[in-house]
Amino acid sequence: MEEIIQHLTPLVKEISGYIYPNEIEMHWSLLIVLYPYITGLVAGAFILASLVKVFNVKELQPVYRISLLTALAFMLVAPLPLQAHLGHPEKSFEIFLTPNVTSAMAMFGFVYMWYLMAVLQLEIWFDYRKDLILWARQEKGIRKWIHRFTSFFSNDISEKAIAFDEKAEKIITILGIPSAFLLHGYVGFIFGSVKANPWWSSVLMPIVFLFSAIVSGIALVLLIYMIVTPMRSKQVDMNCLDKLASFLFYAMIVDFSLEILDFIHRIYESEESIHILSELVSGKLFISLVVVQLLIGMIIPLGAIAVTKAFKAPAELKKLIYFTSAILVQVGIFSTRWNVVVGGQLFSKSFRGLTAYKMTFLGLEGLLVAIAILVLPLIILYVLFKLLPPWEEARMKIPVIQENINENN
Amino acid sequence: MKFKFNPDDLKSLVKKSFSSDNINKRRQSMKFFWKNLPEQIRRLSVVAVILFALPLVVRQLLIPTDFGKYGHYRASALDEIVSQEIHYAGRELCNECHDDVVEVKYNGYHKTLTCEVCHGPAFAHTEDDAIELEAPRKRSYCPTCHEYLPSRPSGFPQIISARHNSRKACIKCHDPHDPKPPETPRECKACHAEISYTKAVSKHVDIPCTRCHQTPEEHKIRPREVLPSKPHNREFCGSCHALDAESSEDIPRIDLFEHERRYNCWQCHYPHLPEAN
Repeated sequence: MEEIIQHLTPLVKEISGYIYPNEIEMHWSLLIVLYPYITGLVAGAFILASLVKVFNVKELQPVYRISLLTALAFMLVAPLPLQAHLGHPEKSFEIFLTPNVTSAMAMFGFVYMWYLMAVLQLEIWFDYRKDLILWARQEKGIRKWIHRFTSFFSNDISEKAIAFDEKAEKIITILGIPSAFLLHGYVGFIFGSVKANPWWSSVLMPIVFLFSAIVSGIALVLLIYMIVTPMRSKQVDMNCLDKLASFLFYAMIVDFSLEILDFIHRIYESEESIHILSELVSGKLFISLVVVQLLIGMIIPLGAIAVTKAFKAPAELKKLIYFTSAILVQVGIFSTRWNVVVGGQLFSKSFRGLTAYKMTFLGLEGLLVAIAILVLPLIILYVLFKLLPPWEEARMKIPVIQENINENN
Repeated sequence: MKFKFNPDDLKSLVKKSFSSDNINKRRQSMKFFWKNLPEQIRRLSVVAVILFALPLVVRQLLIPTDFGKYGHYRASALDEIVSQEIHYAGRELCNECHDDVVEVKYNGYHKTLTCEVCHGPAFAHTEDDAIELEAPRKRSYCPTCHEYLPSRPSGFPQIISARHNSRKACIKCHDPHDPKPPETPRECKACHAEISYTKAVSKHVDIPCTRCHQTPEEHKIRPREVLPSKPHNREFCGSCHALDAESSEDIPRIDLFEHERRYNCWQCHYPHLPEAN
């Protein structure tokens, strides 16, 4: 009790207007901000990979495997913020045993499993299968066995088998696009379907979430590519980088338009909540929404990329601008998630007052856990890069002798 | 030609299909089919079968057998709940012995409260008279519901316990089974505390409630049946706020003919705190 009072007392000073007594404690905290942010990165990175396979954007070939592995690394971590947020995480498996099919939240596990098992891992498996076999043949010890096991002890590298891999990959990617839309559209749907909350309740929510996911995914892969390539003492492929920046720019234009459309729609509709929402936007959310999300995370990077493209800047300047813009975009999209999740809980359902959110540092829902959850996918990605090198030079060529042997067989 | 069903035909067909020759042939054709599948599909299908089979086994092991018998829960949970120790008796049981008190309460303002809200769990008392129930006699109990809180509904009797006869126990003046005020309230504030405190900080602080609400004496005795009136036309507010009203110059003016003629004033302006809009 003493602890609760100590936690709540400073919050009371932050309250403005009138709120209901149970609104002082916010239930969806920083971890629930991370959840849509991370799933967005997954969906965005996958959509980027699909540009290569389905839409045949050849320039993006160097980042194809990087984006798939990035999607996988973040996908593995995506349910962790939800787990840490639960009061009894050890009971969460029951949602799979006896799911309530009419609950959208209960369906997340199935959407997640479908995307992870049937789309992402399958596509990575088909893409890497040939290389896994050939790597295993050259390697010794534990690496050999890891690669043999991950290829499920497959050993057919005939032309026919490789053609089948490519065909399968294309079909999975085509299936994967609606699946990626489902995954992140679902996260938007969870918020958009909360009828009682005017900040969330909007049919545009899944679509806005989806496009912001694509923006954040492309920006993340661009960042990883630009950091990892010099670390490997290699040259960044400028054609690929330019193409990435172009797609980032197009996705941001669509995302920006949708957000503005949502904004205009709300103002024109002017429902009874408009007064408290305008108080929220001009007060407690001013820095994170207007300054960080719109100005720093959207308008500045949009302008910077547009100017770079228009004036044909030299390569080094381009790199600097793309890199800075991608970082700003990440900050902006994180802020978008913050503004949705935290913003939606800051105003009272009485529409007469605003409450406050005090982030804790320690504890299961604190800043430290959130940082750990954000760092974890980077560690997983490092391990994945070591085990499944996504670089073009790591792709193995089929030895001629091997081909002949297979033909003779 | 009409098709005629002959049971002998069916018998011979079944015999033929299950003859060892045919089974062997089928086995061989299955083998042929499996071998001709791409290697990837063969390996993935083994993994897929394991991945599908594993949850099915886990489900068999972990889901209680009686889950879903009546609904989306364990049927035996009902028996577990039923077997729990009973603490509360319910109002019917109280009525069996204390019908005189229950009847008084039933006609009073506390008719929706059950006896056990104040007297505590009574099942043990119904089994054994020697177990006596307690009645809260301290001043701290009644304010659980009747302490002034702005979120309580208007008309709900509320007090500020520090100011309200601070040395007396509530039951000295109020009978909890028929909690009428000991005397008719002189001020509206006794029941309409929220409005009163809101008005106290507004520009309308000096206007008495009865200026706008015609209140029959009967309202104080039967508050829900006999209601006070509300101003029903724009001219009422206009008597102070119209352009030609004979009132203090500090009072804000409005042109009643120009300003939102279709609405009554209080539909937009909250009269107990007019500066809020």
